[in-house]
Amino acid sequence: MVALGATGLLATVAGLVDLVGDGDDTVVLLVVGGLLGVGAVLLRAATPPAERIRDANVLVATVASLVGFLLGVAGLLLATGLAPATTSGIVDALADATAVGTTTALGVLQPALDDHAGRFLLAGAQWLGGLGALMIGVAVLPFFGAGREFADRSRRGGRRPMTPDQATAVRNITAIHGSVSALTWVAYAVAGAEPFDALLLGMATASTGGRAVGAPLDTAALQWVAVGGMLAAGTSLVVLWRLVHGRARNLWRSDELQIYVGLVVVGTLLLLLWSDGGGPDGLRGAAFTVTAALTTTGFPSAPGGTWAPAAPILVLGLASIGPMVGSAGGGFQILRHRILAQAAVREMLRQMHPRSLTLVRLGGRVADEDTLSKVVVTQFLFVSVLFGTALVVALGGLDLVTALGAAVHAISTAGPVRTVDGVVVDPASWPDGVRLALLPAMVIGRLSVYPAFVAVGAGVSVARDRVRIRRRWRSLGGWRRARGKVNRS
Amino acid sequence: MERWRAVRRRIPAIPLPDRGVAGRGVWAGTTRHVSGLALLFVAGGMLVSGLVELGAGDEGPAVLLAACITAAVALVLWWPTRPGALDHTAVFTAVGTTWLVASVIGALPYLLAGTFAVDGRPWAVVLADALFESVSGYTASGSTVFGAHNPIEAQGTGVLLYRQLTQWAGGMGIVVLVVMVLPALRSSGLGLIDAEAPGMGIDRLAPRIKTTAAWFWLVYLTLTAMVAAGLLVAGMGPFDAVAHAMSAAATGGFSPRDASVGHWDSATIEGVLLVAMLLGGASFALHSAALRERRFGYWRDREFRAYVVVLGISATLITVLLVDDGMGIGRAVRSAAFNVVALGTSTGFGNATGTGSPGDFTAWASGPQMVLLLLLVFGGCTGSTSGGVKVMRLRVGMAHAYRTLRGLRKPRALLPVRLGPTILPESIVERVAGFMVVYGLLVVTGTVVVAALGADLVTAFSGVISALGNMGPALGEAGPTASYADAVPTPARVVLSLLMLIGRLEIFPMLLMLVAPYRRVRTASGHAIGAVRERLDGSG
Repeated sequence: MVALGATGLLATVAGLVDLVGDGDDTVVLLVVGGLLGVGAVLLRAATPPAERIRDANVLVATVASLVGFLLGVAGLLLATGLAPATTSGIVDALADATAVGTTTALGVLQPALDDHAGRFLLAGAQWLGGLGALMIGVAVLPFFGAGREFADRSRRGGRRPMTPDQATAVRNITAIHGSVSALTWVAYAVAGAEPFDALLLGMATASTGGRAVGAPLDTAALQWVAVGGMLAAGTSLVVLWRLVHGRARNLWRSDELQIYVGLVVVGTLLLLLWSDGGGPDGLRGAAFTVTAALTTTGFPSAPGGTWAPAAPILVLGLASIGPMVGSAGGGFQILRHRILAQAAVREMLRQMHPRSLTLVRLGGRVADEDTLSKVVVTQFLFVSVLFGTALVVALGGLDLVTALGAAVHAISTAGPVRTVDGVVVDPASWPDGVRLALLPAMVIGRLSVYPAFVAVGAGVSVARDRVRIRRRWRSLGGWRRARGKVNRS
Repeated sequence: MERWRAVRRRIPAIPLPDRGVAGRGVWAGTTRHVSGLALLFVAGGMLVSGLVELGAGDEGPAVLLAACITAAVALVLWWPTRPGALDHTAVFTAVGTTWLVASVIGALPYLLAGTFAVDGRPWAVVLADALFESVSGYTASGSTVFGAHNPIEAQGTGVLLYRQLTQWAGGMGIVVLVVMVLPALRSSGLGLIDAEAPGMGIDRLAPRIKTTAAWFWLVYLTLTAMVAAGLLVAGMGPFDAVAHAMSAAATGGFSPRDASVGHWDSATIEGVLLVAMLLGGASFALHSAALRERRFGYWRDREFRAYVVVLGISATLITVLLVDDGMGIGRAVRSAAFNVVALGTSTGFGNATGTGSPGDFTAWASGPQMVLLLLLVFGGCTGSTSGGVKVMRLRVGMAHAYRTLRGLRKPRALLPVRLGPTILPESIVERVAGFMVVYGLLVVTGTVVVAALGADLVTAFSGVISALGNMGPALGEAGPTASYADAVPTPARVVLSLLMLIGRLEIFPMLLMLVAPYRRVRTASGHAIGAVRERLDGSG
């Protein structure tokens, strides 16, 4: 229902936006949008309210909604003719829908400048994907068994907590995401972008999607606005919430915020050092590249000078670290890294003092052991998916550096992939199989790992229950034994 | 012997500064005692090599001189000290210090023989190279700085034998050797072996620690002898056979030939070494059971099964990919199987006959190379001489992840972590999880540092994984036919040396050895600051 509703809304708005452009897709989009909307309403009416909501069911429903939305967007791309209805076109549509829906800057479709519907479809899908990521990270996972590292901190939000319950969380998230998008839009427009281009850029920035087709960031003013917008999009919603409500007094005491800002500053200086950069232009270029990588937005940028061998590793590392927990960005995210570092220190202390009771603190409070355990398992699964994807992609024909880069960017929902000298790689040059192989990693990364695995586990359970291979095998064995006895007798 | 012991008893131990509990402190008695005794063994190795060198009449008595200096240092450390009780911190300090001291002093033969003082290289580079080769030997890594600029085969017999002996001693562990001859350690000996042994602890092979240590060495010696005999039969010369047998049993990878095993280009020799490497990467508890009780329970052991299955699947996959790339089936099977086992067991022998030859895996397509990169992480079985993360840890990690995912679907269920029919205690699960986390952090940090020092992405990443897993060769510029001297800059080689030491001791002992003094200084300074404050408050 969520997938139908979101896709329908996207199609309807894109259809209306197309009226400003050539208008040739308006009818198709409005009809499809209307049908999907009606379908969503009918489904809502036909579904009885659940008596008991199980955590796992919510996680499975989340995955189903995201996958449904991505398939819907792919359908819209095919319906508008942005991707031709051929095998290769279907792959393009699926890959691009997944890339924009998961806010990964690894798409290949290039709508014409006057194709407002196509351009808006891609930007709008990103924006909805960013909103979905926030909903999953802030309003779904912390309430249903996973992602408690966010809940541990946000539940004690003082007089006006941001997420006291799910309904309020959804409302507040939409308000903040919308506000950041609107502010970025205005800032881009003030910095000299055309209003429609500014809208697309605002959507791409606020969602950390990094894909604004036909709206180049070619001036210094636009790039600085992008840096500011990306920084805001990579900041935790709790920080933005407290800023909005004038409770910024102790904000800087947040370790995660300090690390986030520190990473931007240190990363910029290091990239400046490792790319022969200098002067205001070099600083801007380095800040832009570093912010785009850390926040996993992925706006492409040409390397400012000659990159040292460490520069691409820095960019790749920043993309895998990711921004703050509770933001629209991907990656493993800073708070989880911090938890891992604390877990590592605790393990070292335990080795020295095996009987000691060592606790890990998050934001001044003792962290739940279950939360720590889940973060460690998330790392294990994150790395497993990363290497698994890199292996499949390398088997598909990409060289080692590109394969590793593509896998890191896919699971971090970042992009774009760069060569060792910093030049951006065009994913259109990759085989279809490789692009398809990256899609599961993007989805898993966007879902913060757990829901995807729970959904797969649920799917396997259902299939196993239906097929009952083991039982059938046993019964077959029994039949064989029985037959053997008969023969012997 | 009794008289000797009586003399030793009469000599008083040098009084140590008052540090509270006996045995605590970085340079406390037991640490010095264990380090000194380990250095005596190191000196013994040097002595044997020096005598061989003299017998062969290759060069001057550089290795003998190194043996004398090492023995002198060993005596200074060992003679005036007594082993005492060890707490956990002291165990790590003792093991870490022993390995560090042995690796540093172990560089002496190379320095005195001028092994790396070629082409007018600066002394800092020579020192770094000697240290790298020594650390690589003692940690049984097999990474080398010999290369086209400084061929291995141009070295004297004594240096070559010493190089192989460092690996052989390091493969089983010099601390195990020390525990075998140091009964005064009693229960602390188990802690020492445990801190040194690869994997998640040791299997006690006998009620007494000393006997356990002796059994480890007996199994090791038997394996080495069997491999040497096999290689002799397969057509190697006696020196090469013994040298390669030492490397294979230690899963080290040093070879006295520039082209490593590729020098012979013989399928029979590669076959013998393949089996030897597989056995070296298997648990010594299994070997011990086979040797003592004629109980061949290899295939019943789940870890061994997983280990063989993973290597088999990898070899098959790479064979298919190599054949797809146009290599002949026979050569593909040989190259794939040998390199998969060499890297999967952390041995690191190469069967490349030259750059770009079928055995040179850096010339393969990216798919097979990625499989090898994963094998660099993989490692052998717990309780073997191999490095890497180890099969058991990966199995525990997967079981832990499975339990967590099941827990999300059944939030009220009490789900244990199971390995087959065994329920693992939470402490082991947490220990493995902690290891994984620290391992990941070290890989990331090491890659950034090595790349910042000038190595490219693939070389830095695979080089760090290779160093931490004591593998030897890596991908990129540090392939099986390359020298680390050409692949990574000198400062990066020092970083890799440190990582090899950290990896050999399975991360924690070496890190804790670095952390423990800092914690003590911090505590002491905290007490001092507190006392000053109290005094100031009192006077105020």
